Amino acid sequence: MECFSLLRSDVPAFIDHLGGFGEVVAPHSKGEVSYTFEVVKDSSQVILDYNRTLLPLKKMFLPPVETMLNFSLKDASFTPVEIEISPRLFFGVHSYEMQSILRLDHSMLSGKVESNYFRRRQSSRFVGISFHPDEFHFSESVGITIEEMEGFDLFLNEIEGDFQVYVLSKNGAALLKGFEYIESTNPEVIEGRSFKKKIRYHYNRLPRVFQYAYNSPIWAEVASRCVGCGACTLTCPTCFCFDVNDEVTVTAEDGMRQRSWDSCMLAAFAEVAGGENFREKTSNRTRHRLFRKFKYITDEEGLPWCVGCGRCTAFCPAGISLPDIVNELIGEDEKAQLPRSVRV
Amino acid sequence: MKRLQDVESHEAVDLYFPTMCKVTGAKQITDMEKWYELEMPNGQSLGHSPGQFVEVSAFGIGEAPISVSSSPSKHSSFELCIRQVGMLTNVLKKYKQGDVLGIRGPFGKGYPMEKLFGKDILVVAGGIGLVPLRSLINYVLDNRKDFGRLIILYGAKTPSELLFQEELAEWTSRDDVELHITVDRGDASWKGHVGVITTLIPTLDLQTSTTIAAITGPPVMYKFVVMSLKSKQLPDDQIYLSLERRMKCGVGKCGHCQINGVYCCQDGPVFNYSDIKPLAEAL
Repeated sequence: MECFSLLRSDVPAFIDHLGGFGEVVAPHSKGEVSYTFEVVKDSSQVILDYNRTLLPLKKMFLPPVETMLNFSLKDASFTPVEIEISPRLFFGVHSYEMQSILRLDHSMLSGKVESNYFRRRQSSRFVGISFHPDEFHFSESVGITIEEMEGFDLFLNEIEGDFQVYVLSKNGAALLKGFEYIESTNPEVIEGRSFKKKIRYHYNRLPRVFQYAYNSPIWAEVASRCVGCGACTLTCPTCFCFDVNDEVTVTAEDGMRQRSWDSCMLAAFAEVAGGENFREKTSNRTRHRLFRKFKYITDEEGLPWCVGCGRCTAFCPAGISLPDIVNELIGEDEKAQLPRSVRV
Repeated sequence: MKRLQDVESHEAVDLYFPTMCKVTGAKQITDMEKWYELEMPNGQSLGHSPGQFVEVSAFGIGEAPISVSSSPSKHSSFELCIRQVGMLTNVLKKYKQGDVLGIRGPFGKGYPMEKLFGKDILVVAGGIGLVPLRSLINYVLDNRKDFGRLIILYGAKTPSELLFQEELAEWTSRDDVELHITVDRGDASWKGHVGVITTLIPTLDLQTSTTIAAITGPPVMYKFVVMSLKSKQLPDDQIYLSLERRMKCGVGKCGHCQINGVYCCQDGPVFNYSDIKPLAEAL
């Protein structure tokens, strides 16, 4: 694998160079404590050290609100909305974020292939960057290291403040072409970065824990603290559920059909006309969210559908921690497996 | 895991654009339900199987999943019967002959007809559960010699809520259909059976080895009907149920119709009971 050294001071020039491919999207500061993926206008404003953006990169592939068609109420006709596709390069993406895109690929491309998602995805390139885990990251517990490079074209691994650039695909090599401020180097193993937050079991063992956790009292306990706002799913990089709504203009002559992010944590998510709600209690919904992350898709695909970014926990207004719930379930499972005589 | 490089460009399709269909017939058949006949453009056939659904679209309001009520043996048009129970369906009430409705689909899995050929078909319909089952019933009647007995149990709350009354009369008059109707509450003129639908089951004379049951009704009905059929020794895998969920997109993407890990719009809405028995959220 080719590897080059890149000085931190040369990164803005590198981003400018990458702009030759197309629009560059990278992390920026927003307010005092938040980060966001935005189109780069000034490469010196790109943030290289950040914990996590508020919204995940999915917003670039499945926009929070997307118009699918415009309709006329006068003659009940519609015109499809064609999205404009231009090459985009995503710079400064963490490993768990890339892994979330690979999982979204599965969700949007399995069965019938969704056109808009596919076209946006096909015209994208990804340049990764290493990160320093904070108290919320637990990616390693779901099998994703800081240096996991799958899916990237290039990856910047920080070493003593500067970077080693890994070339991971033909597209990645093409992106480097003509950029002079790099020098060939030998890849080094970076020491000293470790995850503080952990799930106690290897993720392979979690589907079995969940198999026996369906009727656990833990769901009701978590639900008693949950405010049902849906922040966990909106900020989750692998959650993709959406709703479809028609918006009519004020003249009531025409309008548009839009899809927007939805959340299985919201009370009406599984409700049908007539009022029947198939997941009526908050505890039903909390359970469903975690089963979607660690059991249902995992049984089929062998991977957790959680990438350990820590967003659902960091942004939960009630302080509910996903890894803590999983660890509690593990604890409960261990207790249940102890022989009766030693059970406390 | 499906990957980007596994997908060919031509596979990427627009999943959410409706086909505009002409309403060729419409009739309010009870206080709550309206029947519609629709035609696809250019004489196309909908190409559904009994038990499948379509997404019906009224611009300005939205879409809702609606079962197809006609038999696939009728090619030139298809029929829907819609209860006015929400915002969209109340707007659809105003649609009349000559209007245009958007349709996407057909979606989901219907009845596996190849497994039903040669079998006795026991239809258990509660309320508007008769709407999708009418597709199956009429398919059986259109291919009568391919099936054994056709037994229909149909329950409604009151006599005035009975759907498709002309067809019910016709089925009653046929000697190759065994139709049993019950209502929860009779009225002055009702001379038929009174009681919930399960009260029709104990006296049925079923050949369990050759009978396939098809059940559709309100959510509360399934457990009790399945229990009654089990007491008749009908094996799990000879029972099919059609489940209602909020199938918003119809193509396995939006997430609304999940029953535990299963998408109702993809693996259902018609399920074999043995497949959904382990799913806690199913019944």
